[in-house]
Amino acid sequence: MKKLLAILLFLAAWVQASDVYFDSRFTLWKDATILIWAPQGNSPINATDFCHSLRRYNTGIGEPKCRELGEWERDSIAQRYGTWLSNNLEKDLPSSFLRARHPGMAAKIQTLEDNIVLYVNPQGKFVQVAIFDETAQEPKAAGIVKMSNDKMALGDEIASTFFDKRTKRRLTKEERLKQQTEPDDLYKEVPNLKFWAGIGIGYSQAHFPLTPDNWTSSHTKSQVRNYRITKDSVSLWNFIEDDDAFLSLYAGITWHGFIGIEFLYRYSNRDMKTDKSDTVYKELDHWNFGQHDIGLNVLLSMTYPITTWFDITPLAFIGFQYTFYNESIELKNGISKPSRAYQYRVKFEDIYKGALLGVGGQFVFKKHYGVDLRAGISSRGRDIYEAPSPDAGKAPTTIGKSTIDCFISLGFEYLWTL
Amino acid sequence: MTFKKSILSIGFAICMLTGCADSYHWTASHPSYHKAPYGGIAVTGIDEAFVITRSSWFAKRLEIDKDSIQIKGTRHCRNTFESELRKAYGNLMVLPDSVNRIFPEESIKLDERIFIKGHIPEQGITLKDSAGNVPPLVLILHEFIIGTDLKRENFFDYALIHNESGSIRKPDYVSAIFSYTLWDNIKQRPLFSAVDELQQPITTYKLNNLTNLIQLAVQKIRKNLYAGVSK
Repeated sequence: MKKLLAILLFLAAWVQASDVYFDSRFTLWKDATILIWAPQGNSPINATDFCHSLRRYNTGIGEPKCRELGEWERDSIAQRYGTWLSNNLEKDLPSSFLRARHPGMAAKIQTLEDNIVLYVNPQGKFVQVAIFDETAQEPKAAGIVKMSNDKMALGDEIASTFFDKRTKRRLTKEERLKQQTEPDDLYKEVPNLKFWAGIGIGYSQAHFPLTPDNWTSSHTKSQVRNYRITKDSVSLWNFIEDDDAFLSLYAGITWHGFIGIEFLYRYSNRDMKTDKSDTVYKELDHWNFGQHDIGLNVLLSMTYPITTWFDITPLAFIGFQYTFYNESIELKNGISKPSRAYQYRVKFEDIYKGALLGVGGQFVFKKHYGVDLRAGISSRGRDIYEAPSPDAGKAPTTIGKSTIDCFISLGFEYLWTL
Repeated sequence: MTFKKSILSIGFAICMLTGCADSYHWTASHPSYHKAPYGGIAVTGIDEAFVITRSSWFAKRLEIDKDSIQIKGTRHCRNTFESELRKAYGNLMVLPDSVNRIFPEESIKLDERIFIKGHIPEQGITLKDSAGNVPPLVLILHEFIIGTDLKRENFFDYALIHNESGSIRKPDYVSAIFSYTLWDNIKQRPLFSAVDELQQPITTYKLNNLTNLIQLAVQKIRKNLYAGVSK
């Protein structure tokens, strides 16, 4: 069975006229100059005919020029490398193992400018083919094609196997020189300081995406009865709506493109979650809280230039925030004296302190105009640095001792550098 | 608790300092190296590869005059190397160093920071003995350094080669560091290259210990030539 397979493979190789060992996409110039190098001196193809073959199989090649590379055929260093290459050109051998080691040979290849050397070496029933250009000291492409005594047919075979690709316009001497001295478009010095200020909108909610609902539902589904009663008062989301849009203003500074600090302010308006079935609220026109967050983030970031007019700066941030609630409550017109429950309604702490943590990215267009996307989590709670008192056990529980939510935000910002 | 913690951190430190941190590749095989040499081989480089460092230390123990330790000591090593190799490969051809030394010195990359320096023949030129015979495989010995308490990374990792060795103290080991290449003389390509290190504990040091060191080195080379075959 194995023998049969081997015979079949052999036959397949026989029928197949050519086999490309590797092709690392060398640049094929329009109006290319092809130098045909037959190290044994007996080129199996004819230079003029090969040029015709090239034009037949590659319409984009323009007016190629072909000639035999006599100066390499006569040179002993090139001759030795040519023989060596013939011995070492094997299937599945990476091109790096075919590097020309002799400094003289390497120099010859380096000075080709934009000429292409086509190595053709007949080896029995096949012709070994390798292609060199100035960019590497090893063949850029190599393989074998079936030997044919018809030089025209062999030229056609080589042209269709190795030269059937898109061509590039060859640069003039001045253009080459200019290209060499041209600055790198994406080269940019990292600014010492980068500033930005922006305005954004966002959305926050208590429930984290992809987590079970019951982690937060006890807080989010809770309602306030009689102006102050909830099942649980550990989270502010037992009292006020957790899912709401917010507006943000922020400004920041990055030092050496790496570490930065950012000041932010966020405002959102949160409705109280009053139990509509409770008749005590009939006197109430509205009851909501303005939520003001003031925070400071430390950022770690890295800027990646994508094009000359577009950069992306992924960032991660960690910070702290203070939150104030500004109550807005009003009775309906015509009700002069509120109920007793109204007067003893729930009071929040003066100030909540919490942390911010998240990731994001600044997408900067034309160096100055940025779009900022962020996602993260934030917390609000009682100031944990309060001195413990002996009466702590008797003290009433703090409302909103541990309030957590997650947020996403989109900001538009202006950036400038120093 | 603290005890447990300290044990853990010591364990971690040991791990960092020894085995886990060593990630060098000390050998490199050509993809076409399919068969280790068997029966016959040629060797070159052995006349000049051997170097003995700490001459006076060795001179005292081997009872050779200090002025001639390099000549006599290395000649002993060379002869031992040859006879040991002859035991392993019945058909051994010894090529004089001059056959290969005429080619420029080049470096062969084994790992990101590990390079062997040595003479290797030009592409397209085969090595021949004086009678014109062409051996198919040649073992080229580039360097064979004998000393005390040597580490191969200090010689072959280019980031470390400028490190000064510490003060001379009582040595624990006699070390041999050797680099070599198995050369395909027909197709002129390096089939296998390696840097090896041997550490021989010192009790009393006599000439037969040195002989033994060379014998171990030859064994190590043969073992590596087998292990290095590309599957």
